[in-house]
Amino acid sequence: MPIHDQGYRRYIGGKAPRGYGWAVITRAGIRTLVAKRAFLGLLLLAWSPFFVRAVQIYAAANLPQAAFLAPTPSTFRDFLGQQDIFAFFITVYVGAGLIANDRRANALQIYLSKPLTRAEYIFGKLAILMTFLLLVTWVPAILLLLVQIAFAGNLTFFQNNVYLFPAITVFTFLEITMIATAMLALSSLSNSSRYVGILYAAVIFFTQAIYGVLFAVTRSTSFSWVSFPANLAQVGDVIFRLPLKYSTPWPVSLLMILGLIGVSALVLERRVRGVEVVA
Amino acid sequence: MTGEPGTRAEPIVLADHLSKWYGQVIGLNDVSVTLPPGITGLLGPNGAGKSTFMKLVTGQLKPSKGSITVLGEPIWRNPGLYTRIGFCPEQDAFYERMTGLEWVTALVRLNGVDDTEAAAMARRALETVELLDAANKKIGAYSKGMRQRVKMAQALAHDPQLLILDEPLSGMDPLARRKTIRLIKEWGRAGRSVLVSSHILHEIESMTANILLINQGRILAEGNVHQIRDLIDKHPHSVYIKADHTRALAREFLGHDDVLSLKFEGEAVVVQTGQPDAFYSRLTDLAASGELGAIHEVTSPDDNLQAVFQYLVKS
Amino acid sequence: MSAPATRRATPSVFTSALRIFDLSLGQMLWSRRSVFLGLLLGGPVLLAIALRVVSALYASGFRINGAQAAGPSVFGMMIWLLYIRFIVPVLGVFYGTSLIADEVDDKTITYLFTRPIPRRAVLFGKFLAYLVCTVLLVLPSVMFVFFLIVPIGGSGIGEAFPALLADLAMLAIGLAAYGAVFALVGTRLKRPLIIGLVFAFGWEPAVLLFPGYLKRMTVAYYLQALVRHEMPQDSAVSMLLQVFREVPSIPVSLASLAVIIGVTLWLAGQAVEQREFVLDQ
Repeated sequence: MPIHDQGYRRYIGGKAPRGYGWAVITRAGIRTLVAKRAFLGLLLLAWSPFFVRAVQIYAAANLPQAAFLAPTPSTFRDFLGQQDIFAFFITVYVGAGLIANDRRANALQIYLSKPLTRAEYIFGKLAILMTFLLLVTWVPAILLLLVQIAFAGNLTFFQNNVYLFPAITVFTFLEITMIATAMLALSSLSNSSRYVGILYAAVIFFTQAIYGVLFAVTRSTSFSWVSFPANLAQVGDVIFRLPLKYSTPWPVSLLMILGLIGVSALVLERRVRGVEVVA
Repeated sequence: MTGEPGTRAEPIVLADHLSKWYGQVIGLNDVSVTLPPGITGLLGPNGAGKSTFMKLVTGQLKPSKGSITVLGEPIWRNPGLYTRIGFCPEQDAFYERMTGLEWVTALVRLNGVDDTEAAAMARRALETVELLDAANKKIGAYSKGMRQRVKMAQALAHDPQLLILDEPLSGMDPLARRKTIRLIKEWGRAGRSVLVSSHILHEIESMTANILLINQGRILAEGNVHQIRDLIDKHPHSVYIKADHTRALAREFLGHDDVLSLKFEGEAVVVQTGQPDAFYSRLTDLAASGELGAIHEVTSPDDNLQAVFQYLVKS
Repeated sequence: MSAPATRRATPSVFTSALRIFDLSLGQMLWSRRSVFLGLLLGGPVLLAIALRVVSALYASGFRINGAQAAGPSVFGMMIWLLYIRFIVPVLGVFYGTSLIADEVDDKTITYLFTRPIPRRAVLFGKFLAYLVCTVLLVLPSVMFVFFLIVPIGGSGIGEAFPALLADLAMLAIGLAAYGAVFALVGTRLKRPLIIGLVFAFGWEPAVLLFPGYLKRMTVAYYLQALVRHEMPQDSAVSMLLQVFREVPSIPVSLASLAVIIGVTLWLAGQAVEQREFVLDQ
């Protein structure tokens, strides 16, 4: 036929297999955040301790008078502890609005009316926050290890502390899983990202304050299980084979962390729905 | 000219080289316009600048350039003027936990009215928009049409001189639309001025002939829709004529220079003329004499808002 | 339909603020957020119950800073650790930064800004509502803790009651000061929550450690001077603070806090008057 049809034509190209919808959400979320200069500034600031430590490692490796600055396993543990404050602000900045903003815009119904499961949606959102948290915890810590090898010019330190690589990986993944699931669960509870941010701060600082009171009154660290930062610190010390700061048994601390992850998962399962039934 | 703003002498809104931009995006571009008392329809497609203009008129935004006066006074940072202005915004936002009566009463109290009088004014306003029965229900339980009406109630409860309505018919069913249009016309007849915005042409046309056309941040035209049409003299005027002998009529029309083109549509002929007055005069004579058969219907598809708008937008 | 009315006199800033207060108090107090924060404030009460039970079971009692602690000392320590350092700043950050922002997010600000009232009256009215709401949340919590903890070790409630009143007044002043500061942050800055958290939990604790005039740029410096209880030494930071601590006099602190509240509220009012609030479409 000489006259061609100018009407709508169906897409006949290839489609990604089912189960990869989460990657679309993650990519879009990361792109949106990376476009913000203030957030890039925060990320840059979060890397400043890395540069300080790198200089320390360089000095220790190349200047005999700075040998006392030589890294030990606790250097890497302390570095991850220092990154906690940046992880907190990044979690509030990135995570507070992840689901809350979608709830505010009534976008959950739209998302879940696509061929996208709730699990994919949640995982996609989780991946956004976890990506940036990894960027300020695991990535600089591993890089520090590589920097140490590069500046030392040998593998001695690494060979003597070969457990550091899995230790950094396991600890950071445990930490960011706890943080990310908790923040995402809180974000699913409200449609105000501001409220979610303050709730998260309340959970972190309040539990720490409660432990502070108990410690001040009893002079015992056995109540550290009340505080989530303390639980993470306890488990971290175990993973890095360092002396424990608290007298709480580390399995109890680990149980509290896993419990929080479990409760967060439950909350997400209940709250992330396309339709909310109001009785 | 002197006189109280809002009287026949003074415009209710006067914009002088008014511009508004948001960063790189121009919302309104060098708008100079005078709105007379009465009902004025602000018409334009989505993104034309209607809401920006409304927000400037209601003092929510400050002009980037130029000036705007409402009822004879600058509106920006002039809260006293709001005693004479009632605004019904576009957004669907309320204090959902309050009842309609509580909400309207609370807002009227902000006009300096005491509690008893505020409640009475709120009731009157709710009665006007036919929402008195649901006055003690929470706004969260209202339907879309009810929410729209309670918004209108808070705008008119304090008896303002000027009502500014941003898309007031949005979300309403056809019956509610008719009632609201009737209400707006009543307000105009009662001496209030009304500025109503919409992107739906026939809604505005049913409320008023006085329009302000806006597109891409610029004013396309202002005034009476018929006058605007007449002023577009470059554009030929279409006339739809339904008659018994359309071909005979067509032969007669083609003998005159002012007829630019014609086409047949079923039992009618559509003529394009560059001189509508002369054409109508000849048509009247033909219809009276009956020499070319009976003429059943004569309409002008151009003499409406849609045609005016589409022509202006394309040019 | 009646003829257009003659112009009514517009209400004064004070009257307008009171009417906004009326409108906002119910919204704030019975919102889900306040209910949840109220539950959070039950945390100290639960802790107090637990401590009371434990002290009843173990006659040896508690020790604070190495010394045997009576109820009033434990109560004072809880005031420091829970209320001064955490609850008051958090409530200030949360409510203060959202006074106007919540109305903007909910798109209800249009109704308030198209009324014949000065815009700053909206801010002042909401600030008053915040203050009443937070005092009504914090007051019962502190009182419950007081009545549970103070009798520990045989101390009398009657003797400690004037101190409770002083603590309640001090907490109310703290809520007002933090609320005013964060109201200014909320009206002037983007991302006020993050900045508020940095100020309350980063800047203030850090700057208080340094000698010099920098600490006078905090609310905590003046507020902590009003606390009659001894500062607990729960960490190395607290011990350092104790060493470097300079405490202004009570009249100076009260005057400074009044100035902080007045100036920040005035500046916030100016910001609200001059700023355009563009609602999300």
